[in-house]
Amino acid sequence: MPTNDELQQQLIKDLLIESAEGLDRFDREMLSLEKGEGQPETLNVVFRAIHTIKGTAGCLGLSKVESVAHVGENLLDAVRSGKLSLTQEMIGTLLCYADALREILKCLESTGNEGDKDYSALLQKLQEHQVARTTEATTPEACPAKAETSASPTWGLFDDDPLPVLSPKPESSLPASPPTRTPTAAESGPEREPAMKGPSVSDSAIRVSVDQLDKLMNLVGELVLARNQIVQYSGLIQDNSLIAASQRLNIITTELQEGVMKTRMQPIGNVWTKFPRVVRDVAHELGKKVQLVMQGNETELDRTIIEAIKDPLTHIVRNAIDHGIEMPEARAVAGKPGEGTLLLRAFHEGGQVNIEIMDDGRGMHVAKLKEKAMQKLMITAEQASRMSDREALNLIFLPGFSTAEKITNVSGRGVGMDVVKTNIEKIGGSVDILSEPNSGTTIKIKIPLTLAIIPALVVTSGGERFAIPQVSLLELVRLESDQALKGIQMLSGSPVYRLRGQLLPLCYLNKELEIEAPASSAPQGQSTTAPSSRTSDAVNIVILQADGRQFGLVVDEINDTEEIVVKPLSKQLKGLTCFAGATIMGDGRVALILDVLGLAQHANVINEVRDRSMGDKSKSGSGNTNKQTLLLFDVGKGSRLAIPLSMVARLEEFPRDRIEHSGTHRVVQYRGLILPLIRVADYVTAHGVAEEESPDIIQVVVYSEEGRSVGLVVGSISDIVEEVVNVRRDARGQGILGSAVIQDRITDLLDVSAIIQAADPNFYSQKPALELVA
Amino acid sequence: MGKTIITVDDASTMRKMISFTLKAAGHEILEAGDGVEALTTLKDRSVDLVITDVNMPNMDGITLTRNLRASQLHQKTPIILLTTESSPEKKAEGKAAGATGWVVKPFQQEQLLAVVAKVLGI
Amino acid sequence: MSHTKQFCTFFIDGHLFGVEVLKVQEVIRYQEMTRVPLASRTLQGLINLRGQIVTAIDLRRRLELPPRPTHQLPMNVVVRSEEGAVSLLVDEIGDVVEMDDDVYERPPETLRGVSRELVTGVYKLKERLLLILDTEKTVTLQAAPLKGA
Repeated sequence: MPTNDELQQQLIKDLLIESAEGLDRFDREMLSLEKGEGQPETLNVVFRAIHTIKGTAGCLGLSKVESVAHVGENLLDAVRSGKLSLTQEMIGTLLCYADALREILKCLESTGNEGDKDYSALLQKLQEHQVARTTEATTPEACPAKAETSASPTWGLFDDDPLPVLSPKPESSLPASPPTRTPTAAESGPEREPAMKGPSVSDSAIRVSVDQLDKLMNLVGELVLARNQIVQYSGLIQDNSLIAASQRLNIITTELQEGVMKTRMQPIGNVWTKFPRVVRDVAHELGKKVQLVMQGNETELDRTIIEAIKDPLTHIVRNAIDHGIEMPEARAVAGKPGEGTLLLRAFHEGGQVNIEIMDDGRGMHVAKLKEKAMQKLMITAEQASRMSDREALNLIFLPGFSTAEKITNVSGRGVGMDVVKTNIEKIGGSVDILSEPNSGTTIKIKIPLTLAIIPALVVTSGGERFAIPQVSLLELVRLESDQALKGIQMLSGSPVYRLRGQLLPLCYLNKELEIEAPASSAPQGQSTTAPSSRTSDAVNIVILQADGRQFGLVVDEINDTEEIVVKPLSKQLKGLTCFAGATIMGDGRVALILDVLGLAQHANVINEVRDRSMGDKSKSGSGNTNKQTLLLFDVGKGSRLAIPLSMVARLEEFPRDRIEHSGTHRVVQYRGLILPLIRVADYVTAHGVAEEESPDIIQVVVYSEEGRSVGLVVGSISDIVEEVVNVRRDARGQGILGSAVIQDRITDLLDVSAIIQAADPNFYSQKPALELVA
Repeated sequence: MGKTIITVDDASTMRKMISFTLKAAGHEILEAGDGVEALTTLKDRSVDLVITDVNMPNMDGITLTRNLRASQLHQKTPIILLTTESSPEKKAEGKAAGATGWVVKPFQQEQLLAVVAKVLGI
Repeated sequence: MSHTKQFCTFFIDGHLFGVEVLKVQEVIRYQEMTRVPLASRTLQGLINLRGQIVTAIDLRRRLELPPRPTHQLPMNVVVRSEEGAVSLLVDEIGDVVEMDDDVYERPPETLRGVSRELVTGVYKLKERLLLILDTEKTVTLQAAPLKGA
């Protein structure tokens, strides 16, 4: 039995949920009243929403909610009973009033108390509506009756009451069941009107807690395992009736599984209920007229996804009204109706949910977008001219890009379309945009149906199984041992694999997770190059993508692709960024789900190049035995330099005649970018030898950081090694961090940051250059 | 000795609160979300007390009271109305429909227990 | 009138510990576990408890006692916590005992280190001490240290 305190907490939680739903219903019905579409019942629904909040809050001792709710309740009661008629102005105040209640409830949810914000101005306004109008109607009794309430007894029995005795006996002899409705004065409208919009919970639906559903889902998971065992067993026994029964069991289990999955689905309309209000508010604020049309409200999605798309969708809707739909006058000039239309459409297609947000506004001018991007130095004129219309439209998803001339209150909140895109991609979705000048813009979103059950690739490393979400998977590569020797190179101590000309950093799952390799393979850390530790076997590489960057994950074994049920990790494990969750495999054992982005960051194969280089410095300084993967190169005869491979984005060769000059810098055009070139030899004093550039081809190490790249021009690239590096600091020089003996030869470690700093002092302070999305 | 009580309210928080308070006092509690649900639950079973909200969707508390009074099974069952309207009209309406007593929302646990004790004669 | 409480008892490295029976969901024999790489070693692994993934905490490590001999398979005492069910790995299960509040004592001063934080009190039995563990504290581990981070 919970204590009173626990109960109170639990009840407040319930109240918060119930009230949020009630207020959404309130908004929805208010808006239909505003449009003049209200049914007689609508006023009752609106009244009841507030009435319930007030009553419950009062019993829970939430005096602020109660007192604020009370004032609106009075006004609504007067309206509902016909003493007042609802004006547009009143609707505006009532909507603000609903927001005030939301605000208090939100405060209660986050801080545990109702806060001390003063709402007296709002409440006064509500009362004024009532007093002003009721005076006209000469019914003075509708004034707030709070004082009277507190003075009267709080409970009583009718027998004790000196009330006029009407009739304690039933007036009619209606049969008790089936219950028939008795229209009475007490009901001010037909309450079971089928036209009543919005879900009527008590009709045909019941409320089930998410916990309960999760429990069911777990049980079904167990059943599936038991089923698998029985099916397997029946195959051994060869008994016909057992086989028949197990087949039935098989089918029923699958259906049950699907059925339970469906119970976790919610209609997308649950998110959309907020939009009429958002659209109204934003349109009001901007002085625009917008009609919102919603199609496919009933399209179902897993509840976790619904949660994840709420904010991105809201942002797109706001944006569409702010930037898309024109002012009524402008629309008239363009020959369009003064009221703009915003269409939200959702539908299922190919196992995915499609959501489209379509406006009939001014659309986007490709030329303008390109101009903007050029102004912001995101693209060059040359790139702009080569860009397709579709690519140009996608510019709006770049960080820092905004088409509005001025930052408006509505969309200019520092959250750009780039965040929208990132958030949708995070849940395995994609965003696309279509736009036609003067006729409007459509944003198309595709998202998976569920996050709870996802397709995943199962791999084995160090004897343990791991699941990799399929959304991050690009391709699988298997290298036989001799191929592996050639295909995998060591580039500055880190293994890389050249896949169709692209240099992919590799990481070894065993190594990253510090799990023992299976007995058959060589113990770690004894060989000088990573690939050779597995020379006897083929190498399995899973090519993955995280945060737009690709890398290869080397695993012992690649198993199957399976649908897995994602379960969250307990709090004790939340700090482990390499794992996204866990799942139960067919044999009943638990397997961890890899978080591809977290793993990539852990392994330093993407991003954080700078952090890594700093980390390396401190490691080598402290005599740490950690190995590094280094790229060895020279900048002329007798020189020998190294940089950590993790700093290398790619190795390139350019024909000398492609070098162009931009100001004082030498540059080449590279993958749609202007790549500044830095001759390493010019900045390294220790090597007095001049760079002997080969006449036709230059060797370039491309270094990228935060979206900006430079090309380090070197003499020739000699090797990639994995070494325990002991740096001698006394050998420091300009552009040199120190030196070390690598493969029995003195090798200088290049100070890449210092060189870039010297060559281009602005490199670290400038905004990231545009990297075109491939 | 524990009695069987049904609480009828469209606000689940309110039902939970009532239910908890009365369970703690040793009673057995049934719940219903509106008048229709209550009637369905009470179709063939009797209870010792009905505590119902007045303003509910589908069927309000006063109509529920009338319907219960019309049935043989519930003719004598005590019915308490929970109401935020403490005005004499509402009370009169409740009384006319055959309700036994009333409690004004919001109420304290003690008030609820007091009225229940009085109605049940315990 | 004095109150009594029931405790589920178990042995760890020869010591007798107990947790309130009300906190115990179930006691099960050794389960196969999936290790969690990079996690603190106190966290022995994950087990599948009828479809629920439960984290297993090695009480020997948690209490900074010597490691369990490799041939000895631990038992799972599954306790309820705010975080959901967590399994405590123990050497051997003891009896469920009913103790009088009167003989409850504060933990002795001789208790040091982590035990001092996790043991809320002791009961003096005929032969030995029964150390009562605070389950909530016991299952709360410091944020898993991220190696290499």
